[in-house]
This record gives sequence, C-alpha cells and structure tokens, in this order.
Amino acid sequence: MAPPSVSDKGAPSESLDLEAVRRREPEALAALFERHFDRVYGFIYRLVGDRAQAEDLTQEVFLKVHRAAHTIDPARDPGPWLMTIAHNVCRDLWRSSAWKLRRRSTSLDGDSPLAATLPSGTRDPERQVLAAERERLVQQALLELPEPLRVAIVMHDYLGLGHDEIAAATGIAHAAARKRYSRALAALAKRLEGVLG
Amino acid sequence: MSADRPDTRSAREAHAREAVAGLERPRADAAFRERLKRDFVSGRVGEGRSIVLEAARHKSPAWRLAFAVAAAALVGVGVMSMNRGGSWTVLATTGDGVAIVEGQPVPLAHHEALDQKIQPGMRITVPEGGEMELTTAAGLVVQVTAGTEFVLPTVPGRWFGRRATGAVRRGEIRLTTGPAFHGAELQIDTPEAVVVVTGTTLAVICEPAGTCVCVHDGAVKVGPRGGAMEDVTAGRRRYVFNDGRPPETAEIRPTEVHPLGTFRDRRKSLLERSGR
Repeated sequence: MAPPSVSDKGAPSESLDLEAVRRREPEALAALFERHFDRVYGFIYRLVGDRAQAEDLTQEVFLKVHRAAHTIDPARDPGPWLMTIAHNVCRDLWRSSAWKLRRRSTSLDGDSPLAATLPSGTRDPERQVLAAERERLVQQALLELPEPLRVAIVMHDYLGLGHDEIAAATGIAHAAARKRYSRALAALAKRLEGVLG
Repeated sequence: MSADRPDTRSAREAHAREAVAGLERPRADAAFRERLKRDFVSGRVGEGRSIVLEAARHKSPAWRLAFAVAAAALVGVGVMSMNRGGSWTVLATTGDGVAIVEGQPVPLAHHEALDQKIQPGMRITVPEGGEMELTTAAGLVVQVTAGTEFVLPTVPGRWFGRRATGAVRRGEIRLTTGPAFHGAELQIDTPEAVVVVTGTTLAVICEPAGTCVCVHDGAVKVGPRGGAMEDVTAGRRRYVFNDGRPPETAEIRPTEVHPLGTFRDRRKSLLERSGR
C-alpha cells in the first residue's frame, strides 16, 4: 500500500523520525503510536460504533503499520497512510461474513459513548444524560448510513479532511468523493431531521 | 479542505454537519491503549488477536456468501430457537442511579424496563452507588457492583452450545452457579485475562494494574490473554497483571471472603430451584 501524498492536518509529523520508524526502533514506534493512536481509534469508533470492535480494528491497523513500517516514505506525513489503512481495515470487516451475520442478528445501535461521558457523581446528571442521548442519536444516524457514505461524512466532518484527502484515502476520484459526500450529508440530514430538535 | 459551497447547503445539512463535528472524541480504554502501545513497540502486536477479519481475506462471490448465509440462517433459526437457554432476568437492584444498557440510560429503580432491555451480549454499566443482580434459567447469578462495565454473557444452550462468553471491562462482578449450569462453561474476558468458569462462586475484579480473580468455592481456570491457563481453587486468588509481569497466585482477598459467602448463601436456594 503506497502512502498517499496528502497531509494529515490533525497530526503534524515534523518531529517524528520516520527513518527510525522504518527501522522499527522502539522509541520511534512509540512516538508514532502516541501521535496517531487517538485519531485512528476515534475514526474507527465512529465508523463501527462499538468500543470492543474499535479496539480490535485499531489493533489490526497497528499490526499492519508495524508490518509495513519499512515501506514508509520518510519524506511524507504518515498520517494519511494510517487513515487509509484504518479505512481499509473497516472495509474488510464490512465485507466479512462475520460482520454481515452480526448485522442480521443485532441492532446497529452499537455502544454509545454515554457510559464514557457520564461521570459518576456529576452535578447535573440530567444535562449529561441529554447530551449523551444526543450523541447517541447522531452516532446511530451515522451507523444507519451505507458504509461508503458514513466514511465520507466521518472523514470530512469529524476528522476535517478535504475531498482530495478523502479521495486519496478511499481510492476514488476527487469528483466522486465530492459527490459521495453530498449524498451522505443529505442522507444524514434527513435522518437527523426532527430527531435532534 | 475543499470548499463546500455553504450557500447551497440547506440549514438542516449544516445542522447535521455541526452534529457530526461536535461528536465527542472517544477515549480508548487506558489499559487497552497501553497494552497495544507496548505490543506495537515490541513487535508483538497481533499475537492472540481476534480473527474476525480473517474471514474477509477468503473472498467468495457475493451470491455464494448470501446463499450460504440464507441457508445457514434457515436451518439455524429452527434449531437454535429450540436450543435456546433463556434470557437474563433482573433479580434485584440497589441504589437509585441510572444504569447504561447498550448505550441507553435506564434507571436502576425501573426493574421492568431493565428486564425488557437486557439481552445477552449487551454492555451494561452500573452507576456508582448502585448494584444489580441478574440471573438466568441456565443456573447463573451475577452480581454487578457499582461502577462496573460488563458485557452480559450469552446463555448456554440446552443441549449444545453450552459454552458462553461475557466480559468485564472495569469494576467487579461476583458470580455463582447452580446445578442447571452443570456441563456448561462460561468464559469471562477482561482487558488482560481470560477466566473460564465451570461451576463455582467467584469474583472477577478489573483494576488499573490488572485483573484479580478470587475463588470462594469450586475451581476456575485463569490466565493472561493468549497465555497459559491455571486452575485456581477454593480460597485462592490469581492476579493477571497488564504490564507483562507473570500472574501471581495467593490466598483469596480477605475482603472478598464475606461478600462471596453471603452472596452464595443468599442465592443458593434460587439456583437449586432453577431446573431446565
């Protein structure tokens, strides 16, 4: 998998020693991990809506990164490459029979971040519950979108990537990425209409 | 980022964009993050990992997959519905907080709502100051203590599929089994350990440093994920660390002796009545 040439706005790489990453030196790998873990995990979580699944997939991403570390181009930001791998790992999951069986047998509600965002002993539990409920509804609406549309929305509006970057990460043309995003946004807006108030 | 022609976007689309942009940045479980980092840096990442993605590598035409799924579903539905071992029931709750069941808030005081909501495989978070006891006709009672995040185990089948799995992500559960559980096996996964129960009373405690399994009666197999399992007998405990140290076995925690004994005594008659 060739690292794309686009930059990852959320993860500048100036201080990363990518030559050392290529040699799989522990310190460099640790720095790469620290720089990108949260973004990769957050991206995957929003795509699959389940923490346990997101953990498995994030592990898969870093396994692939470790295996392919020697192919990293030191002149390029590895961020987009990681997001491409993360997207491919999710796409492989969605194509797997195990996932399709699971979709047939379970709700796609997933686990909302409610539990993670509802601290114990909060002074305003009602407000927390409402905020978490809103979060759940948005996540659920995302999960109801067809997967390519979900990817487009999450990459564009959640990660803040541009259409050119999304096109590079998903392997489609720039115009197609724009068009897909427009469809995704319209579909999401329709689902959220009347839900969020 | 490319321009999005905001003038052409409707208000509801702008609202949707804001909603997505405003989603929380989820925090990964700290123990998972640390473990993955350690494995990534040491090159051990992926050892003992889930193989759910492996299926995708053996691609077959979509129609064949669809046919296989449909056929399996047809046969499976009939047989599985007869084999089903029942669901979970809320026995008791204490405290008046709000539990989170599969991401949705349900007050602990609303037994009926909790009963209707809970299903095997669902993630349940019990609030601080609360407690919940659940049972199934398959001969299990689980006490989920305050602040625990727990994945409700599947229920062992009547004739086959007698192996069930659940998980504790953080906090503590106590579990006891009855005669109906005989011949079944329950695996409890924690972030760093695997616990295999075949008939016993025990506590599974997930702490920042690792997992502690305290056995009141019977015997349990406990080991690190992907590592060797070891029997832990009555009155003993095994601690599986999350920093790679080898597990340690010692006497049961004194603080667990009384709660486990009381729990066992209180639920013994119920479990003995629950036939299949």
